[in-house]
Amino acid sequence: MNPQADPGGRLCVRNLSKRYGAVEAASGVSFEVDPGEIFGLLGPNGAGKTTVLECILGLRRPDSGEVLIGGSDRRAGVGALMQSGGLQDKVTPREALGLFASFYPDAAAPADLIERFGIGEKADEPFDSLSAGQRQRLFLAIAFVNNPSLLILDEPTAGLDANARRSLSSLVAGLRESGRAVILSTHDMEEAERLCDRIAIIDHGRIVASGSPAVLVAASRAPSRVDVRTERPLSEALARAIPGVTGFGVAGNACWVETRDAGGVVTALVRGLGAEGNALLEIRVRRPSLEDVFVEVTGRRWSEEGEGTGP
Amino acid sequence: MTGGTETRGLLRHLSLTLRLNFRSRQPVIYGFVMPVLFLLAFGGIFRDDTPLLTHEMGQLLTISVLGGACFGLPTALVSERERGLWRRYRLLPTGTGGLLVSTVVARLVLLTLAAAMQIALARLVYGTPLPLNPGQLLFAFMCVAGAFLGLGLVVAAVADDVPAVQALGQCVFLPMIMLGGVGVPLAALPRWAQTAAGFMPGRYAVELLQRTISDPRGLSGMGFDLAALVCIGAAAAAVGARLFRWDAGVRVGSAALGPAALALGAWIAVGVAAAATGRVKPVDMQESDYRAVTRAEIRAITYDDLPGDSEFVTRLSPPLSGAAAEHMAGFREELGAWAPGLDPDRGQAARSLLSVAAIADLSVDPREAEIARVVLDTLRARYGREELERILAWIILSPAAGAVATSAPELGLARHPPEAVVRQRVQLYAKKLLGRLVGALSERG
Repeated sequence: MNPQADPGGRLCVRNLSKRYGAVEAASGVSFEVDPGEIFGLLGPNGAGKTTVLECILGLRRPDSGEVLIGGSDRRAGVGALMQSGGLQDKVTPREALGLFASFYPDAAAPADLIERFGIGEKADEPFDSLSAGQRQRLFLAIAFVNNPSLLILDEPTAGLDANARRSLSSLVAGLRESGRAVILSTHDMEEAERLCDRIAIIDHGRIVASGSPAVLVAASRAPSRVDVRTERPLSEALARAIPGVTGFGVAGNACWVETRDAGGVVTALVRGLGAEGNALLEIRVRRPSLEDVFVEVTGRRWSEEGEGTGP
Repeated sequence: MTGGTETRGLLRHLSLTLRLNFRSRQPVIYGFVMPVLFLLAFGGIFRDDTPLLTHEMGQLLTISVLGGACFGLPTALVSERERGLWRRYRLLPTGTGGLLVSTVVARLVLLTLAAAMQIALARLVYGTPLPLNPGQLLFAFMCVAGAFLGLGLVVAAVADDVPAVQALGQCVFLPMIMLGGVGVPLAALPRWAQTAAGFMPGRYAVELLQRTISDPRGLSGMGFDLAALVCIGAAAAAVGARLFRWDAGVRVGSAALGPAALALGAWIAVGVAAAATGRVKPVDMQESDYRAVTRAEIRAITYDDLPGDSEFVTRLSPPLSGAAAEHMAGFREELGAWAPGLDPDRGQAARSLLSVAAIADLSVDPREAEIARVVLDTLRARYGREELERILAWIILSPAAGAVATSAPELGLARHPPEAVVRQRVQLYAKKLLGRLVGALSERG
């Protein structure tokens, strides 16, 4: 399969399939990514995300399907932060950036990348002295050496602590303004929801749902959950009397209610408690999430999936 | 990507690979400390050579190259593959082939530095003579290193992880050291092992390097050894490059059997060719006897009992020139290619050459004086002065040692004089030449 120029200037993946022996790692995968868009590939470990990305990068030859990258050669115009792509222990970030930049005629200046990705403090320190977060920043900088029009980020925040994850997430969010097309593979629902303009949920090598996170969630039939803590235990009669409640449970002064009309239920609940003379101490509403969407489309809990990123 | 950009990138990779080699302890220990330890160990083991290591530098350099090829190169490649570096390289616009070549060239540079260090240290510590043919040594070294690094590529391609490199590397390294004439001299090996060594590149590597280091003939007549290494190295490099994997997740599997058989087939082909052309023959321990001759023993040899050069026995013509030289040109050429005179046992080769002069003398050949002169010229051309003095003294002091030819029909000397008389004449001719070398006799007798 050869990459062909797509006149629309976007990445088009069409009907991509890849099999490893009996395992179907990707099956009929199709999606498009526009410039300036962050597109998420969301799925549990082993769902086939990495295989799809490797086929786009040319690291794997798909059994069928095609990848069209508009306006540029596939490798020259693509930058990638892959999960399993390390460096020598004793190489410094400056040397590594200099090496990778030297293979491109119009490469970004290593000094600029060092500053942009905040690794100046460690620029001349050996790679094995860098923290996990600093390493990911360096890998992101390496992905930028060729000023890519398409950026592929495979689980960029995996294995990072909360601070490093937040810091890297904000870097990724900033890429939208650069006008680049970004594909972000992740198994972190919250990250996908926060960063991506559109996502495709992938499971067992197939895309089972796609669209903007808000639209996917809105279309979900999963109920919202309202958690309430009151001064005295909530009466069962009050909970049953509220229209739209599909389920509830009480444990002492705390109770939860499931509903598809969270706004209406909260209003009725507050009124009912006032009428009973029971004080409301705390109330929380948890709306449906991408996890609920995943459960809906696959019939399985997200946590049922095992670890491991291979196909 | 333009060619200029690619070249710039590969040169940067080469330079970075070399620099990184000196930042980690392990590559420095394996690449530079171990060769020094081997040098000191050899100096302690081979005590008979004077100066020390004169005739063992070929073995020493071969061990260093072998270590770098069996362990250094594949360990670096496999560990980089395991940590995903080659996956990262795969995303570059250049092919991984160029980066692989750059990695091998870096290893070649490191091996050359280590070899230069060993030669310099041997000179400083033991007074080992510097190589007689430095240019030829460099050429031979490149051939040897190229052949072994090709084997290293095969190890890197077949090994799935670094521990597997150690195991596979030992499978190549140890047989070559123990049975291939690299660590243990051929002469110390039993006959079957000497035969087995003919199938291993280590033997040819040692012979080539040693020739350029201590033999004035240099690489002359070493075409087979060179061809053997090129054949084995080219087959291995082709197989190693064919099987090279940038992805640690991909296993070699049974698809590697065919290419691996090709690499092994080159060893077998070389061994069979060596056997068919008579190159796999026994090497005896007596070979090194002449090295034990001391300066005092050489000085104690007297020359007053020698017959004159124009007398009936052991005639010797003055140095040949003009028509006389032209007349003997054909014989000189035939003698140069005469097999017994090319015996790897250099002491034996000299004794055989002198026996040609003795046969001509005893056969009363019309050219006996000129033949003797050509023999002496040939000996002078082939050996360094110090080595030739020891060999001649050994022949004089041990006239019954080794073997003498009693007939050389291929040189037009078909008569068979008795061996005892031949030995006696060999001894006299050895004295005539030694006397000239040490200044006890004038060139014209």
